Amino acid sequence: MSAGAGEHPVAFPPAALPFAPVQFTGRHVVSISDFSRNDLIHVLELAARMESSKSPARLDGKLMATLFFEPSTRTRLSFEAAMHKLGGKVIGFSDAGSTSTKKGESLADTIRMVERYADVIVMRHPRDGAARLASEISTVPVINGGDGGNQHPSQTFLDLYTIAKLFPALLSGERELTIAFAGDLRYGRTVHSLLTALCHFKVRMLLVAPRGLEMPEQYLNAAAKAGLVVQEVPTLQEVVAQADVLYMTRLQEERFPDPLEFDHIKHSYRITAAMLASAPAHLRILHPLPRVNEIAIDVDATPHAHYFAQAGNGIPVRQALLSLVIGTV
Amino acid sequence: MVDRLRPSDPPTSSNPRVRQVEAILHGTVIDHIPGHMTLKVANLLARENDQVSIGMNLRSARMGRKGVVKISGRELDARTLSRLALIAPSASVSIIRDTQVVQKFTVPMPKLFEDIARCANPNCVTNHERWASRMEVVNTDPLTVCCIYCERTFLATELALL
Ligand SMILES: [Zn+2]
Repeated sequence: MSAGAGEHPVAFPPAALPFAPVQFTGRHVVSISDFSRNDLIHVLELAARMESSKSPARLDGKLMATLFFEPSTRTRLSFEAAMHKLGGKVIGFSDAGSTSTKKGESLADTIRMVERYADVIVMRHPRDGAARLASEISTVPVINGGDGGNQHPSQTFLDLYTIAKLFPALLSGERELTIAFAGDLRYGRTVHSLLTALCHFKVRMLLVAPRGLEMPEQYLNAAAKAGLVVQEVPTLQEVVAQADVLYMTRLQEERFPDPLEFDHIKHSYRITAAMLASAPAHLRILHPLPRVNEIAIDVDATPHAHYFAQAGNGIPVRQALLSLVIGTV
Repeated sequence: MVDRLRPSDPPTSSNPRVRQVEAILHGTVIDHIPGHMTLKVANLLARENDQVSIGMNLRSARMGRKGVVKISGRELDARTLSRLALIAPSASVSIIRDTQVVQKFTVPMPKLFEDIARCANPNCVTNHERWASRMEVVNTDPLTVCCIYCERTFLATELALL
């Protein structure tokens, strides 16, 4: 089991469980950098309990407000499903066009109003830092469902949960995992946040990115400071042979000044079933979804595809976050 | 406002070196300004009716060429000192009373710049909502700050004062 890669329910080694008690009630979930190693493990452990338990802690009578100033169906549905599963209720809006923001209401005023009737606020906003601003105003916990290109911490928690479930060695440390990131590492916020979180664990990182879209220096420095071995690798094929986890991200055409260059690059950053022929059996491919071309459809049928299971992990992770900040566990 | 002034401090004897800019009776001298920042510092400090003397490209043993700005009849408030810290962190400030230097100090470096500069990230929420910017100092040499909202890091020289 410790080699991992089976989609088993809770597989956390007991060694990972004894941690210092963590106070979560009333806490905002704005940025992954706000969380210590203990915090992260606490959330993952509770997510595992949420997933395995027939009747997880209930949030009956609690109300979650989803303030989506820009649409994100995926994130909103996942939070709403998590809240409903816990017995709570949901109010909210799913795009700013339908709100008073359009009439010029400030974000601060929207929060001051909503905090009076919700027990927790989940928000997504096109501006970087919007969730931090909201958290400074709100007396109820604010969970950031994405602020511009900055943070999306529940995604990072679910990524981490997915890796920990596949490879318990992430938490037990009995083996050093090799985790590869591929694609746009410069602008991809999911990989920035995940790397920040992985700094708390003993992993080896492989990075594959087109020239100009490499991982920014500040994250590389933080990883080096945390003692992670980070290696930049020239091709996807090289990564496939060595990695436990391959985390793929989208390449966006608008990042390339030359459309011909994009055309060329997008083929070298696309993973296909044929490329996986030489991969070790336990290699798992993750992706924050939606994918475009970077993962060929024929990969879906291979045992390496794990991105849909990953998305499913969003439910127990968001159940855990909601219960923790509302304070029912 | 003279909140940085501790009256119990012994007066320092005036600088024996040859004055390169005319002395003032009461006020503030900002010395050791990096050459290219001198006019910016003068602009920042001068209010209407203030009498300001500017020395540019003066010789300095410590920094080669430097600027000096003298402002008559006024001492700097906390906000002005913060703004000065952002644009000329190496500058020194002398408070002059009756032509004597009563206190001299390097610009105090705050931990946090609050409502001092505009965040250089155009998509930062502080540039779109009526909300004060807040930037944490993450490095002092070169002066580097991190916006606590958008979490971007900037060199102080990339920022525009508010
Ligand atoms: Zn900012």
